[in-house]
Amino acid sequence: MTKHLYSNLKKEFKNHLFDYLILFTAGIFFLILLNIFRGQRVIEFFVLISFAFFYIIWGVYHHIVNETLHLKTVVEYILIAFIIIFLLKIIILP
Amino acid sequence: MEKIKTFIHRLFVPHEENNFRAKSLHTDFLTVYLVIAFLMMMFFKQNSGLHNVLGFATDISIEKLNQLTNEQRQKNNLPSLLINSALTLAAQKKAENMLAENYWSHYSPDGKTPWDFILGAGYKYEYAGENLAKNFLFSNGVVDAWMNSTAGHRENILKREYAEVGYAIVNGVLNGEQTTLVVQEFGKPMGSVQAKEISVPIVESKPQQILAQKTVRPKINAFNFTFNLNIVFMAFLLLALALDFYYASKFNVIRVGGKNTAHFLFIVFILIGLFMSTIGTII
Repeated sequence: MTKHLYSNLKKEFKNHLFDYLILFTAGIFFLILLNIFRGQRVIEFFVLISFAFFYIIWGVYHHIVNETLHLKTVVEYILIAFIIIFLLKIIILP
Repeated sequence: MEKIKTFIHRLFVPHEENNFRAKSLHTDFLTVYLVIAFLMMMFFKQNSGLHNVLGFATDISIEKLNQLTNEQRQKNNLPSLLINSALTLAAQKKAENMLAENYWSHYSPDGKTPWDFILGAGYKYEYAGENLAKNFLFSNGVVDAWMNSTAGHRENILKREYAEVGYAIVNGVLNGEQTTLVVQEFGKPMGSVQAKEISVPIVESKPQQILAQKTVRPKINAFNFTFNLNIVFMAFLLLALALDFYYASKFNVIRVGGKNTAHFLFIVFILIGLFMSTIGTII
């Protein structure tokens, strides 16, 4: 199972290396900003929102480039991003 | 039993019955998660009874701090510290002073030292020390940070000479930001034995303060519950994404939808960020 999963993951990352590099870089940037503004709850929350919105834009961009954009896909990215925002707001900004 | 098996299969494994996408990742299911998350957020915000401390979502308590501190001392064959009301008052005054004069230091801008607060509370000491922390979410985060510190906090906790301790956990605005301050004051009262030692070996290390408000702790720890619920939910999403990705790859399924790998990466970064947010600052 692991071997199968690994080979498919490798294939996916290899085929869309640039896109995933952008997402990964944004993720690292998100963690760095969280570390810099650690304890400043309002800024932490804005950093989270920025990352979530970037993620939605990334999703749309990725699917446009791959010609697989569909309304359902965009909704999926928006739903996941907002679930995370609502859940983390309870922790960061109660 | 068979029904449960079918349900789980439909929930996690992409096949023709769920339109080749794990049901748990369908937009209708995601919408349900979103509504639940939104309701939780609103409930948490409006129900003040769920707030542990003055509307600040933290799970820091004096009882837990004292328990963890004494556990560390016991591990090092040291006697437990007893909570002293004068040291608690000193910690409270120190935290209030930090918020009133807007500083994050062992020494106030007008030159007040930790020892001024301890003496001011009527505690005559032979030895005294102070630890400070802010912006932590959990008691164990505070004590772990002190124990991992090389700046004197650990030495304060493990100092053989100390016999008593006082804590304060206070919320307020410090430098324009909502903060939970934690003050821990250590001391050994001036006793008849060795009373000649008037010079006070002040532990200059780093005072950390915990202002413990007169907090009425709710019976249900809503913050802790919500935090754990977040972790469980994100773990569930990660599992669903991983299984869906695996089976879709295995069966060579081509479908319209978001990229599981991207969702996975996003949630992993969020989880790391969530754990980072539990870490505060100590001095």
